[in-house]
Amino acid sequence: MSFRRLLALFAGVLPASLVAVILFLAIYSWPAVRFNGLGFVARTTWNLGNTYGDPIVRNGVAQLPGAQYGILFLIVGTLLSTLIALLLAVPTGVGAAIFLAEAVPGRLRLWLSFLVELLAAVPSVVFGLWGYAVLIPLLGQHVFPVLGRLLGWIPIFAPPYGSGYGLLTAGIVLSLMIVPLIAATLRDAILAEPMVVREAAAALGATRFETVWKVVLPGVRKILIGVTILAMGRALGETMAVLMVSGNALNYLPGNIYSPISTMAAFIVSQLDSALQDPTGLAVRSLAEVALVLSVISVGVNAMARLVLYRAGLRGARV
Amino acid sequence: MSRRNDTGRQPGRRQVIALAAMAGLGLSVAAVAPARAAGTVNLLETGSSLLYPLFNLWVPGYTKANPHVRITTQSTGSGTGISEAISGVAQIGASDAYLSDALMKMHPGMLNIPLAISSQMINYNLPGLNGKHLKFSGPVLAGIYSGKITKWNDPAIAKLNPGVKLPDHDIITVHRTDGSGDTFIFSQYLSFSTPAWQNSTGYGTTVSWPAAPGAIGAEGNPGMVNAIKTNPYSIAYIGVSFKQAIVENKLGEALLENKAGKFVPLTVANVQAAANAKSAATPKDERISLVFAPGADSYPIINYEYAIVKNKQPNATTAAEMRKFFTWAISPKGGNAPHFMAAVSFVPLPASVVKLSAAQIAEIK
Repeated sequence: MSFRRLLALFAGVLPASLVAVILFLAIYSWPAVRFNGLGFVARTTWNLGNTYGDPIVRNGVAQLPGAQYGILFLIVGTLLSTLIALLLAVPTGVGAAIFLAEAVPGRLRLWLSFLVELLAAVPSVVFGLWGYAVLIPLLGQHVFPVLGRLLGWIPIFAPPYGSGYGLLTAGIVLSLMIVPLIAATLRDAILAEPMVVREAAAALGATRFETVWKVVLPGVRKILIGVTILAMGRALGETMAVLMVSGNALNYLPGNIYSPISTMAAFIVSQLDSALQDPTGLAVRSLAEVALVLSVISVGVNAMARLVLYRAGLRGARV
Repeated sequence: MSRRNDTGRQPGRRQVIALAAMAGLGLSVAAVAPARAAGTVNLLETGSSLLYPLFNLWVPGYTKANPHVRITTQSTGSGTGISEAISGVAQIGASDAYLSDALMKMHPGMLNIPLAISSQMINYNLPGLNGKHLKFSGPVLAGIYSGKITKWNDPAIAKLNPGVKLPDHDIITVHRTDGSGDTFIFSQYLSFSTPAWQNSTGYGTTVSWPAAPGAIGAEGNPGMVNAIKTNPYSIAYIGVSFKQAIVENKLGEALLENKAGKFVPLTVANVQAAANAKSAATPKDERISLVFAPGADSYPIINYEYAIVKNKQPNATTAAEMRKFFTWAISPKGGNAPHFMAAVSFVPLPASVVKLSAAQIAEIK
């Protein structure tokens, strides 16, 4: 085999494996897709049925009596926790990026940037453990009641406060995990903005703040959108940290911002062992269908981000 | 001479790093190797967090006399215990639940061997009332866990506890998220005592919990203890081997209504009474629920703690060591000795059940 062909083969493995994974999920979950129908994404019931009853066959699919699968609560939990993470992380990340690029002298900038990037290297389970040990008691016992008193007039902030496990806690942990991605990418982009536009703005009498706000930031707008979507992709798929702080809600939609939730990724981990108790295998295949939905959403989001970043001319963006 | 040859003769920095990394890998492989030393038999136990504390007492006790056996224990939940015993990842699957008929049909070679008798507490964290043993019945617990009874001062709870000043506060129900034998016996208590629960939810190592607002999920018995400890106004079902943790954290323990309509505390005598009432009916394969036993003194939530085991082991040595360990475990002079049982608040197997278990242990080949 020629060297060129060998390289082509190696290069081809990557897209092929993506297609293979999605294809595998689709084929493996096919009995569940048929059984669950479209209601899968519209129902809030995850019910294995009677695991100690005798399996029955209906419409050619072996199933436990009473089995019904719907993941609306997981989709809602995933999207809301990601939304909260982005609402917290984008302003923080933009602020940090501006600070690092504009307000800090050279040597200190190097060190601070290094620290921000190190934060991105912390494994997610560490964030999860910290969230579990520190954040949950702190939020549940001290912060949520205060938040409720201050913002209780907005329905989603009104009590009950629950336990500290839940939507807001998951959102905060997720936001900590994606801030470095946003801050580091945006700082590079701001630094890459040509000096002449700043000089031009200064020559027009703009203050430093005005220069950044009105000239530099609009210049990196597309990159900000792109990196935000990338961060969203990461938050959507984050598993371990969310599993540890979300409260693992089953079969109900969050009533307020403190409610326990569960996300698609965390749910697959927490329910696999239970699903294996289903002798018909339908439960495991339904979990595969959850994975399929999650993959399609995540791949779609990432593709969108890359398209935006590509258009913005930042082809080698860090991910 | 070409450059390639140069680097070939003098190892560059990268090669040195690579060599060091390989040496490190080699060392870690060497560290693992002794586990395979001749004569050592490795057994992996995984599953029930209720059985885990007992295994952690058993293993040092047993391996001191049998140093050639190495038993690793893991607390992962009965669901994992069952599935890893079936797949063969673990030799011993610890479970508070026996296999369903359908799973037995699929895996006819699986054995369900009772090792001891356990029970389950209903615990709560009610500021000011933890010292008081509140009374609960199956139907009231079913109402709480199905979200129909949402306040602590609900008339249904107040009626069972006259004279107790119950708080006007939402009830936080805690349930297991992992496949769990505790969920199995708790949902059996609700099913056997409350037809509405039986019809809507039923029992299993994992059940579809009805939507109870504010309900939280926890992993393993340690997670359950932590959840009620950190959440005032919560209620949970917790295996009796965690009684010490409940006492230390000053959490409440309920009296439960049994089949005879009496409210009984969890005591060794009451568990024994329930065991006596039901264990005589134990079939040869020992898959039977002991929950909701008849008798005025019977504590309603008790169960066999099972070792889920494959009857065909990969080799004769492993099988022989497993038979030996289990025989020791169910013996009143070995693992069922009073000091082991008392440490986790378990009750030893009745003599008739020891015989049945011994017959099943002999099937491990």
